[in-house]
Amino acid sequence: MTVSRRNVLKFAALATASAGALPLSGCEGITSSASKLLGEGIPSKVGVATGAAVDPDFHFLSRATYGLWPGDLDYLKKMGRETWLKEQLDFEKIDDRACDLRARRFETLWLDPGTCFEYKKPVLRDELVRHMLLRAVYSKRQLYEVMVGFWSDHLNIDVGKGDAIYAKATDDRTVIRRHALGRFRDLVAASAKSAAMLIYLDGNENRSAAHPTAKNIPNENYARELLELHTMGVDGGYTQRDVYEVARCLTGWRIHTPWQRGKIYFESAEHDDGAKVVLGKTIAAGGGERDLDSVLDIVCKHESTARHIATKLLQHFVSEDPPKSLVASVAAVFEKTGGDIKEMLRAVFSDKQFDQFAAGKIKRPFHFIVSSLRSLAADTYAHSSLTEYLNRMGHAPFQYPTPDGYPDQSSYWLSTLLWRWNFALSVCDNQVPEVTIQLAELAIAVGALADTEQGIDTGRNSATVTRPQLDRMFSHFVGRQPTTLERQVCFDFLAQSKKDSRPELVGLILSSPAFQRY
Amino acid sequence: MASPEHYSRRAFLRKLAFADEAHLGTINKSLVCIFLRGGADTLNMLVPYANDDYYRLRPNIAIESPSRGGSAAAIKLDDYYGFHPRMAPLLPIYRAGRLGMVQAVGTDNFTGSHFEAQDQVEHGESCGHSLGGGWLGRHLSTRSLVQQTPLSAVAIGTALPESLRGAPSASVLNSIEEIKLQAPAGQSIAIAMALAKLYSAEVALLAEPSKTTLDLLGRVEKLQGKAYRPANGAEYPDNTFGKGLREIARLLKGGVGLEIAALDLNGWDTHFFQGAEAGLQADSIEQLANGLSAFDKDLGSSRSTVTTLVITEFGRRSYENSSMGTDHGRGFTVFAIGDRIAGGQVYGSLPHLTRGQQMDLLGPSGLAVQFDYRSALSEILVRALDNRRIENVFPGFKGQEIGLVKRTVV
Repeated sequence: MTVSRRNVLKFAALATASAGALPLSGCEGITSSASKLLGEGIPSKVGVATGAAVDPDFHFLSRATYGLWPGDLDYLKKMGRETWLKEQLDFEKIDDRACDLRARRFETLWLDPGTCFEYKKPVLRDELVRHMLLRAVYSKRQLYEVMVGFWSDHLNIDVGKGDAIYAKATDDRTVIRRHALGRFRDLVAASAKSAAMLIYLDGNENRSAAHPTAKNIPNENYARELLELHTMGVDGGYTQRDVYEVARCLTGWRIHTPWQRGKIYFESAEHDDGAKVVLGKTIAAGGGERDLDSVLDIVCKHESTARHIATKLLQHFVSEDPPKSLVASVAAVFEKTGGDIKEMLRAVFSDKQFDQFAAGKIKRPFHFIVSSLRSLAADTYAHSSLTEYLNRMGHAPFQYPTPDGYPDQSSYWLSTLLWRWNFALSVCDNQVPEVTIQLAELAIAVGALADTEQGIDTGRNSATVTRPQLDRMFSHFVGRQPTTLERQVCFDFLAQSKKDSRPELVGLILSSPAFQRY
Repeated sequence: MASPEHYSRRAFLRKLAFADEAHLGTINKSLVCIFLRGGADTLNMLVPYANDDYYRLRPNIAIESPSRGGSAAAIKLDDYYGFHPRMAPLLPIYRAGRLGMVQAVGTDNFTGSHFEAQDQVEHGESCGHSLGGGWLGRHLSTRSLVQQTPLSAVAIGTALPESLRGAPSASVLNSIEEIKLQAPAGQSIAIAMALAKLYSAEVALLAEPSKTTLDLLGRVEKLQGKAYRPANGAEYPDNTFGKGLREIARLLKGGVGLEIAALDLNGWDTHFFQGAEAGLQADSIEQLANGLSAFDKDLGSSRSTVTTLVITEFGRRSYENSSMGTDHGRGFTVFAIGDRIAGGQVYGSLPHLTRGQQMDLLGPSGLAVQFDYRSALSEILVRALDNRRIENVFPGFKGQEIGLVKRTVV
């Protein structure tokens, strides 16, 4: 298929002189340059998969990261999956300065809840969301970030509830991020004492019988979700009595007001200190604040918890309906290692069934946006022009109202296609304000545009988009060659266009079913 | 498909639509289903002021008896019940006999889990017996497929509710103005054509949503760009719920064949400090009542064909907890509005109000369930929406007669 030379060059020119993209502010411009020096650009040559089915390594990276940055596939193929996984699990050793330059700018993320009270709620929310998004796009600790997202859903806190937002940054830092690749029990224990969680699920209001304002009736909210969602699962075998007894065990945890807003403490006068029976195990009277540890010991060691967490991990990383044998083996790793999250992930990613599930899941909107930005090597600071797309698709971080967290099932997210298409078409044409992509540079790197064609004056020669060029561009995004139909649709689209449409062609690839899958 | 140059933009987008629009005029009954997420404490909405146990069990959060007078007291409906003061905007509809209530409706689910109970109610199944799809989805599946378009069923928001799963076609939107393909270079038709072809190869999950989305683009075009002014001086509250109802009214009056609309109102999980005549729950009640009142006014003459159902996943305990809230309970009150509703009364009696941990150990207590929730739903589908294959919506379920909906005289 032939298009004019002028069009090819416009394709290149659009990347730098797009009408819609606003210039980055001075500070952000400097950061972007510095990030590039730290290796956050597009490598000069980017390999793509050449098979008709999704490349197994592409599949592996699609699941273990938020999408492939140009060059990621070459990197993995060079070092092998095992070494790559080891490097990712040892995340503290990965140099993440380029990402830090972008993501550390949000001061409220480093403040304690008391100081956060000085800020307006929308400021806190925006900083939380932007930080989450920028880490997901730019961090080299990709598996760690995916797990941060996973646990943020598992231990969901809606910052819209009460004053939870003032304490969410601390929760993100000291619960989710501190333990994302640690031990499960430590994670849940930290969450149980997180001010944000105490606010979100009313633990702060759970008082003992003996306390004058209470009437022998604890507030069961957190106790129920601890068992149902955080540990054992709804079919985990606990009873209503267990919910009640756990609620009794957890009475007395409070949040300081007003001088140390957001700091938690244990008020023994509000604790029900009688004996309790949880899941058939007696917790002796007089345990005080140690009752919390006793509850966590019992529920975290329960086989239902191992199975529940294994199932959720596998649903996230492998398949919505994971093989039973795989659930059993990952649950066994949980039990054997005392809930070592890294060991469970090793088991998930090294299972020989893993490769069978390529392209079997559909990206959630957050994942779709982030993987678009990563595969385009976009330059962004996640201003509202970008986060608005997340709002519209109902997937803004930390804003899911109920404690079960954003659903991991594809079926929940199928009504978002129009917004995915609109995002893809806009971002590829540099029409999302304050998001910049260099499409020509990317096209040259993946071999979809000859490097001699960049920057030459327009209007004389003719050039072609060849089939190999189209195939390489397509494969860069989805990890396989296009099918005959997909190729035909792309060429038909170019042929029908009166003007150069290659940014839109890339938008079309990102809008296609193949890129919704992973 | 022919080249897009052969069509105007509008004609092409219309061509993407599948159904013959001539049939749409035959949709003449509609249901608006409002789900109160979180388990609404309906005991404080429809207040049993003549019941002493109610006041004994709720020393801090009960709504005062109408006899106390003043703005904090319940609004008397009859010798037993009163409305929460913030339900006042619904009083004229009740008095006109168009708002009816059913007491102590519920499920057979004892888990006390929001997610299980919501799913169950929306799926329209008995506990642990998955039927596939939601009750509204199955209802729509029993209708003639020729008439179904993406605007036959609309959910306001960002995600399709479980109740509409399995519908032949359904759309999710906040406003019809936002349904546009934003191809920057103005090639939206070429893009739409290419997308139609790319998604035509999908056989699994993505196939239906893509067809629906492309079809919808063509259908909303004729409604877009015209300012909508609510009729009869109706003033919708300026919140998400009010805006959603306004959009539903606009679609209903636009004659686009809307049969089922679904809308959520969040914030009913009042474990903590739910308040009485004022407070957290009162604010939610106000949103609900103001929204429904404006909607009813705005519909004007169209309201004879529209039934509105308000439902939740479970009621709450009869007694307040240590933090002046209420924990998860069982039975709840169903509210329904419409000309087909035999309103102005409460169906069913109030079960004995008790408190006691012994009872809670079997499952959350609260109102003992008197009517299976499906009895209410099926009465509405059969009598207000003329469903003649209710056994396909609730297979194996034998409903109890409630009398909430008038029998259709054919």
